[in-house]
Formats: sequence, structure tokens, C-alpha cells
Amino acid sequence: MARLDLADVGHSYVPDAAEERWALKPLRLTFEDARTYALVGPSGCGKSTLLGILSGLVTPSRGRVLFDGADVTDLPTKARNIAQVFQFPVIYRSMTVYDNLAFPLRCRRWDRARIDAKVRQVAEALDLGGRLRQQARRLTADDKQLISLGRGLVRDDVAALLMDEPLTTIDPQLKFTLRRKIREITEQFRPTVIYVTHDQYEAMSFAQELLVMDGGRVVQQGTPEQLFEAPSSTYVGWFIGSPPMNFLTVEHAREGLSLGGRPLAAAWDAPQVTARPQVGIRPEYVRIVTEPGANTFPARLRGVQDHGAQRVLEVDLAGQPVRAKVPREDGVPGVEEFLVHLPRTKILPYVDGRLATLP
Amino acid sequence: MPRLYPAFKYTVIALWACFVAGPFMWAATTSFKDANAVQGGATYLPWLQYEPTATGWRNIFGGSGGVDVLGPFLNSALVTVAASAISLVLGSLAAYGLSRFRYRAGFVKNSDIVFFFVSQRIMPPVVLVVPFFYLLQVAGLLDTVPGLVIVTVALLLPIAVWVMVDFFNGIPREIDEMAMLDGCNPLTAFTRAILPNSLPGLTVAAMFCAVFGWNDFFFAFRLTFTEIQTLPQAIVALNSSIPPWWTLSAAALFGISPLVLLAIWVERYLSKGNLSGAIR
Repeated sequence: MARLDLADVGHSYVPDAAEERWALKPLRLTFEDARTYALVGPSGCGKSTLLGILSGLVTPSRGRVLFDGADVTDLPTKARNIAQVFQFPVIYRSMTVYDNLAFPLRCRRWDRARIDAKVRQVAEALDLGGRLRQQARRLTADDKQLISLGRGLVRDDVAALLMDEPLTTIDPQLKFTLRRKIREITEQFRPTVIYVTHDQYEAMSFAQELLVMDGGRVVQQGTPEQLFEAPSSTYVGWFIGSPPMNFLTVEHAREGLSLGGRPLAAAWDAPQVTARPQVGIRPEYVRIVTEPGANTFPARLRGVQDHGAQRVLEVDLAGQPVRAKVPREDGVPGVEEFLVHLPRTKILPYVDGRLATLP
Repeated sequence: MPRLYPAFKYTVIALWACFVAGPFMWAATTSFKDANAVQGGATYLPWLQYEPTATGWRNIFGGSGGVDVLGPFLNSALVTVAASAISLVLGSLAAYGLSRFRYRAGFVKNSDIVFFFVSQRIMPPVVLVVPFFYLLQVAGLLDTVPGLVIVTVALLLPIAVWVMVDFFNGIPREIDEMAMLDGCNPLTAFTRAILPNSLPGLTVAAMFCAVFGWNDFFFAFRLTFTEIQTLPQAIVALNSSIPPWWTLSAAALFGISPLVLLAIWVERYLSKGNLSGAIR
């Protein structure tokens, strides 16, 4: 296992393109040893390019890649000792489960007894112990994906385990099981894991740290809690969370902010650099109340979405759409107009799409 | 109407089968006839309509009035097997390169190179025979098995490349990437991860090579004289001003027998399930 550093690494698939159009804009990143990271972001945001640069399948246009301080930028994939699990199960069809798992070790010329012991240990951990002699191609898709994962785990010296949306092609029912299994395994073997996904639930439930990417940049890095509670930009607030964070355009008042002519107190005041700053609040924190009070606004119901145990109420607040996520047992307000309370500590000010700094 | 369709379908299939099998049936009955039985109208049923004899078959294995086709048969087999094997090895290597790496020389790109290979087969063979003749003469390989093997490789290589490029394009690149992550270099990734997965493609390419190599008459006819004779030449040489139909039929059936056996044996590797989803 190793600590991975990207020093000023950027990449463009098109030679001589302007930096603005690079698939990955030059960035500085560190992946600490034995931690799990999730890279999230929409398609084409540079996640897979970043993985490719780490594994050596892509040579960056600029910058150096360091594994434990050693420069590996010019080393081929083979020499980097990286394990990768791809989007769909990649197995060697002509081989048995055992041979699939043993392949990376045979490529490294381990001796037979050592290979055997290691393959059996990993197969046991993955519940593939009883199927070692089967032809790998006869297994189900999720078992094949386990083999892909297993091939990454048999080498106990890998620098990092990269997973590129490994659960995309898996049945929804099996996703849960497989995700738990991957988690158990990574806790047991403790590799440095970098997990790419566009599914925020997967990312939040799996990783100790999340990196949100957009347009070839890392826009925020932090724990799932940090990303949920304090998105650094409206983009992150919109991308993380379901439904996404509410953003309301407000005005500067004599004291603090105002929304629809009524005073609004945010967690802290936005600097007066623009006339119309925004505030963000998670739908989870918007409350339906009966008593008027501070930060309480009249609202009008527009629609209701059923999310199982919860409901998402779409309301109109001072002419702007706001979503509130409420427990199912709270019911839907019987009247068309009611009051909505926005707790002060959960209201974050944004200026030009970025979280305003504390004054 | 729904019942009518299967009836129609099987009638068409039966008619087509008769059309395809007809010449073989004709050759099979004729090969057991003699001069008398061949003349005087069509007859099909042995013993009832004509008295079967093995004259034709004896003639092609050194019987009086015929030739021994065993020698030419072995020559053909040697040339076909050697040329097919060389073409498969070189062709799959070339195809892998063309499928996985990008080449550029001016305006020439991968697809142009592939087309260049295939275009060798678009050219009329007659265009190639004079250069081949000249080159083999310079190398002293006229009328030899190695000379014929070289020429046949030149004919089969485009087919092997064409089939294998298409096949390798269907194998996801992730397999190569995976192999390299597992510790292979590009060559071992090819030999250890890609090639074992390519059996259906190799089978198709081998089949094509065998058929084209085995059936070649024109180049063997022009580039060999007295020392070497391949089976198609030997069969043609059996003809005379009064065609010995029984001998020709026996020779024709004997000539196609290896390909028929090969097709039957190879057929199971060509089933649809084996080709589609070959990798994942």
C-alpha cells in the first residue's frame, strides 16, 4: 500500500489544446495510505482520466505522479503495481476461477505454493472457495465482478486498488450485497482505495473521503458529512444530496438578508459584494410549522413526490421553488398555504456560486 | 396462415438443400459408374439402373489409365497447412497491432492499412502471377513447395488480417488493460490474455485460409511445372478429349473430402453463442 501524490498533473487527449479544454486540469492531490476515497461527478468530468493516470494507462500531459515519494510518471502500468476493477466484469474467459485469481501472481513469477495459499485466502474471503475449479465464464455477472476484485486483492503489495464504477452493471438487488462485501474486504485487507462512481449513495456509504469533480477539476474534497453539511459551491450542493440542496436568491437588507421582503437570518452574513447573493438549505432541514416566528415564511404547495419512508414537498416560497423532505408520518399539509421554517444554522450564504467565507 | 408459414419455410429449405446437394449426389453416383453407364441417359439407382464399379476410384489411386493423386494430395495438404499456419500467426499479430495501436503516416491511418491488406484480394490474381513468377525465379523457388507456400501466404494473409482485426475490435480494451495491470507487457497481454479468448475468431480465420489455400489452382498451375503438383492440378490433368467422368467425379469427391471433414469438425466452434458475447 502506498501514498499517492499527484503534483500539478493535468491531461489533454487532444494535443496542443488550450488548458481550459483539458480533460483534467492541472491539479495537486494526495491519496493517503490505507484510506478509501470516492471520486464522484457527472460523466466526462475527468474521473476516469484521473484513474488512468494513476494506473499508468494514460500518460499525463503535464505533472508528476509519485507513489510513496518515488516518481512513477514514466513507468509502465506493469511496473506500478496497481489493481483495478472495471465498470463491467473483466475476466479471462478461457480460465477457471482459480487461474483467474492466480494470473497476476503467475505474471509476477511467485512460486506455486505461495500462489496457492494466497488464492485460497482471497477466494475464501470472497466466498468463491467452492467454485475455484469452475470456468470463470460460467459465473454470474456479480460473481465475475468478485473475481475482478479478487485479482486486485491477491497481490498484497499493490500500491492502490482502483475501482471504476464497479457496480454499474450489477443487478440492483445484488448491488447492496456486493457493496457490503467490497467494504468488508477493503477493511480486512486495508488497501488504498480510489472508487469512482456517479452514484452519491455508493460514494457516501463506501468512502472515508469524497472528491467531487466537475469539468476536469476537483471542486471539493471532504468527508461525506462535510460535503452534505457545507458544500463549497452550489454545484456540490446540487450534486450531493437527493433531492439536491435548495438555493434561494435573497437580497441584502439593512441588517442581514431578506427574502420576499421578510428578514432572513443565515448561519453567517454574506459579504456585500453582489446585490443578490444566494442562500442554500438542504431539503432535510426545511420544516413545515404552524406558528409564525423568525425565519418562517408563508409557502404554497406545488406538488408531492413519494420517496418511500419520506415525502418530498415541492413548495413555492416567495416565488422561488423549495423542496422539503419530511417524514411520511408527518403527512401532507391539508391547506394550500402554510408556514415553512428555515433553521438559521442550516442556511449557508453563497456568492457567485461559492460558499461565502465567514466574515 | 400461421401453419402455412412453416410448411413454406421447410419447402424452400428442402428445395435449396436439393439444389446444393444435387451436384454432390451426381458426382457420388457417377464415381461408381463406367463408360457404359455414363452414356444413355441419367440413372441414379445403383444395381437397379446401373451396375456400380469402383473403376473411377481405382483410377485416381494409381490404377491403369489414371494417376496417383496421393502425392498431389500431400503437396496440397503441406502447402495449405503451412501457409495457413504462417498466415494465422502473422495475421493475428498484425491484426492485434492494427486493432490496438494507432498508426499514422501522413494521411494513412489504421483503416487504410486494413483496406490495403484486403485490397490484395480485390486485385485479379492474373495481375500478381507475373511478379510472383519473376520473384520466385530470382529466389530459385519456382516449382518448389516453399515457393508455393510463400505465394499462398501472400494470398491468405489479407483474409487472416481482415477476420482477426474485426474479431479483436470486438474484444474490449479493458482485457488488455487488465492484463497489463496484472503484470503483463503488451506482448504477453496478447499471448496470455487475448489469444486464448480468440479461439472462435482464429477458427473462422483458419477455416477461410484452409478453403482458399486448398482451392488454389491458378497460382499452383502457373508457378509449378514438373516437380510439384497440387491436387487441383492433378484433377485437371485427369481430363482428356473424352472426359472420364467417373474418374473426375471420384477425384472431385476425394478433393473436397478434407474440407468437408474440417467443416464438420469446426462447426461447433462457430455456433452463435460462441461468437457473440465471446468475451464478457
